[in-house]
Amino acid sequence: MPFTDAPPTGVQAWIKGRPNGVMMVLAIVMLAALWGLDSVSVAANRIVAGSGHASWEAFGWVGVALASLPLLLVLLLAWAPTSSRLNLLLQLGAIILLLILMPVGLVVASHTLIDPQLPQARLSAGAAFWVVLFCAMLALVELRLRLALPRLWIALVMLGVALLWWLCASLWLDRLALVQEFQAREAAFWDALREHLAMVSIAVGVSIVLGIILALLIRRYRGSQRAAFALLNFFQTIPSLALFGLLLAPLAWISANVPFAANLGIQGIGYTPALLALVIYSLLPMVRNTFVALEAVSPDVLDAATGMGMYPSQRFWQVRVPLALPILLEGIRITAVQAIGLTAVAALIGAGGLGAFIFQGLGQAAMDMVLLGALPILLIALIVDSGLGALGEALRQGASDD
Amino acid sequence: MTRPVHPGSAYQPTQLLWPMMWLVLLVVVVLVIPHAQGLFQWLAPEAREVIYQRAAFTQLLGRHLLVVGAAALMTITLGVLAGVVVTRQWGRDFLPLVAQVASLGQTFPPVAVLALAVPALGFGTVPIIVALVLYGLLPIVRNTIAGLKGVDPAVVSAAYGMGMTPGQILRQVELPLAAPVILAGIRTSVTINIATAALGATVGASNLGDPIIAGIVNANNAYIVQGAMVIALLAVSVDSMFEVFQRRLRSRTP
Amino acid sequence: MIELRDVSKFFDQTPAVEALTLSIPKGKFCALVGTSGCGKSTTLRMINRLLTHTRGQIELDGQSIDAYDPVLLRRRIGYVIQNTGLFPHWNVARNIGLVPRLLKWPTAQVNQRVEELMALLGLPVNEFAHKYPHQLSGGQAQRVGVARALAADPDILLMDEPFGALDPITREKLQEMLMQLQARLHKTIVFVTHDMDEALRLADKLVVMRDGRIVQQGTPLSLLQKPSDAFVDSLLGGLERGLKQASLTRVKDHMVPPGAHLAAPRVTTEQTLRQALSLMLRDQCERLTVVDPQDEPVGELSLDRLVKEAFHPKERPRDD
Repeated sequence: MPFTDAPPTGVQAWIKGRPNGVMMVLAIVMLAALWGLDSVSVAANRIVAGSGHASWEAFGWVGVALASLPLLLVLLLAWAPTSSRLNLLLQLGAIILLLILMPVGLVVASHTLIDPQLPQARLSAGAAFWVVLFCAMLALVELRLRLALPRLWIALVMLGVALLWWLCASLWLDRLALVQEFQAREAAFWDALREHLAMVSIAVGVSIVLGIILALLIRRYRGSQRAAFALLNFFQTIPSLALFGLLLAPLAWISANVPFAANLGIQGIGYTPALLALVIYSLLPMVRNTFVALEAVSPDVLDAATGMGMYPSQRFWQVRVPLALPILLEGIRITAVQAIGLTAVAALIGAGGLGAFIFQGLGQAAMDMVLLGALPILLIALIVDSGLGALGEALRQGASDD
Repeated sequence: MTRPVHPGSAYQPTQLLWPMMWLVLLVVVVLVIPHAQGLFQWLAPEAREVIYQRAAFTQLLGRHLLVVGAAALMTITLGVLAGVVVTRQWGRDFLPLVAQVASLGQTFPPVAVLALAVPALGFGTVPIIVALVLYGLLPIVRNTIAGLKGVDPAVVSAAYGMGMTPGQILRQVELPLAAPVILAGIRTSVTINIATAALGATVGASNLGDPIIAGIVNANNAYIVQGAMVIALLAVSVDSMFEVFQRRLRSRTP
Repeated sequence: MIELRDVSKFFDQTPAVEALTLSIPKGKFCALVGTSGCGKSTTLRMINRLLTHTRGQIELDGQSIDAYDPVLLRRRIGYVIQNTGLFPHWNVARNIGLVPRLLKWPTAQVNQRVEELMALLGLPVNEFAHKYPHQLSGGQAQRVGVARALAADPDILLMDEPFGALDPITREKLQEMLMQLQARLHKTIVFVTHDMDEALRLADKLVVMRDGRIVQQGTPLSLLQKPSDAFVDSLLGGLERGLKQASLTRVKDHMVPPGAHLAAPRVTTEQTLRQALSLMLRDQCERLTVVDPQDEPVGELSLDRLVKEAFHPKERPRDD
């Protein structure tokens, strides 16, 4: 009987002493992908479509067997009804081993499949590779939750794995298409990364200041609350491409007709409409969270603070702000993650950033260039999200310790 | 006498005012654009052609709606199903992972998801629908889980005690009570998908994003404004319709 | 008739109820009392199979509950819980008609039954039928909860701290209502509570539980007279036990024929000894005149006799 036997408490609601269905499914999917899908593809040059190669062609039978071993171990461990900590740690070890084996597999494949006589030939990761990578990430999340490991711990493990991949990529994987794309435009990549981060930081910084000012104004003039939030919500609803477009035309007109503005660098295409749109989008989460943060402090606590003889200013800085900070930080997190994605779209209107690689790559049908833009964006979003999330958690705990 | 009457759901025509207004505006704009040569010439004085001609706006709107609608149908079915499965006793093993992935996945920018779908699936409408489904699933799954978990355990316990079957409880108690939260997830999902579908124009789909992209490529502001206006009006109309739905649902429960 | 024989329930490895043997005769009101976590709710929820017992036998009218389909079994047993568990998205009438509709009664019959029950529980149909649970006070909501449990006219009623969340005045009103209902309907009721006064007031049979085991069972009076250990004694109020017993005893059971000289203060035959004692203390007298409902003197009560006889009554009321 669901719910009644043991009402689920929080997220952790596994049944002890039962086979771990999640890990079993993940292991089976990974095994199926390893054996059934193409793990790499080889292309003669940058533009032509690659031809897929199954795992045994790429890594040899020994390699496939070697890669299957940790997966079979996971399957076996997950099936064993004892879910002791050791069992879970062993599964974690197997998954990490798999993540370490993956770039090694690519190195092997680049030696077996690529004809050294063809300098243009390049290797790309295939469907099996991505499926296994994705499932391994899911497995890490699952095991982290089951083992109740701190985020930091898993972040360090991931950092180690990433360093290893980086090492493999820079030393032995010069035939990998992604690496070649990177090497071909290394300077441009770092510039784009800098631009991307700069745009996100400026947009988030401006919207923090504006958001707090607006939230305080709304608190001051209560009558405006509904209208203000309706307006912010309205902007949030407009698709990014449309908002960029709608800002582009008037700004272009201004720069064409107002010389002073043009001298300031205001123009239709480029970072001006992009930044403007980013700030507009960022305002809703910032204002909403600031507002909620300031409202959320329990009236009892404020009452007590007044009763203890605190000045309004003391009450604001010593009670309201510390209690509101975690919610505020949550707003910054949402804003930042959203801005990272929107900045990518802004590349369409010439604002630069990593999005430029995506759209250029799509335009040239060069998929590895798309990856060169998309993967770092994903990574940055994940890092910012978990970093600010962890900071918020720490603040919350600090607040509850007091 | 036992006919359920919801005191809060008394039909209020004023609620429909905003969505109707936006919808009428959308239709008017779509119909007027082809005839507003003069206005757009003023916006883009140098351009030779100021009205987007490659496809009629009604057609672009239709394709946009079709893609978003097909994706929404799939996301709602799959998302609610997944949310229900992981909150059942037998699917509970998957709850922590699915809940975590549903919230973690939303940190992935939609444009990155769309970009990654192309290498895997090629250009055209199919990868867009797949990307929309994958991305649109997340808010729906997350809100379905939140909504179902938010149902007062005492109510569910009472339902069992009264002799309702699990299926009856799901249909008559849990889903109706979780409906407002689930609907909020659907609203988020559809809003994001309307925007992401527009980006699909960059991967070879013909929809309302097309005039904007064409305008950017050809430096033709008139195209950009035409596409942007129609997409914005579409998004706002759909969103305000959801707002009305939500308000009516919410008025039924405390 | 509910029979539990040697019933145990384990959650994982921890026992919640152990080797519990209990028999509740048809039409009786049985209260399970104990501190929180003593297994009383678990016991209750095993009877309608919301929980599955690990060991032992549970029988209803001689038939093991394992023989029933759990869903059908629950439709035959009324169930009331502390937070009412009313469906917030259904109005009062629809909530009450739930089980009859599950049993596929014809609509007209369901409606008639709902009206009947609302009248029975003092909920005017016009005023309440279309209200939603969040529009009701705690007491009204729990009346609806009781009505819902009674809707399909079950023989057995399981009540899990039904009045626990109510304020004392409302609680007393609902207890009164339940007593009147029981006097008319004669359901077999299992009632879980941690409030000993409530249990003493309502129950025919009292079962005291601790750590998943029955510590003592019997009539309220028999427990008051002879608590088996210090735990039961403290639950029963320790020093207050005498007064509690007095409040369960009617004046008519301790009066003697009236003497020649009638004392001025009067009590009626139906009042409790506790009230009589209070009157003696208030009016500073040792003797009271007992009158019948027509205010005719029928006997007298003396403090001297009460003190000597109260714990050894000639006959025990409400006993079986």
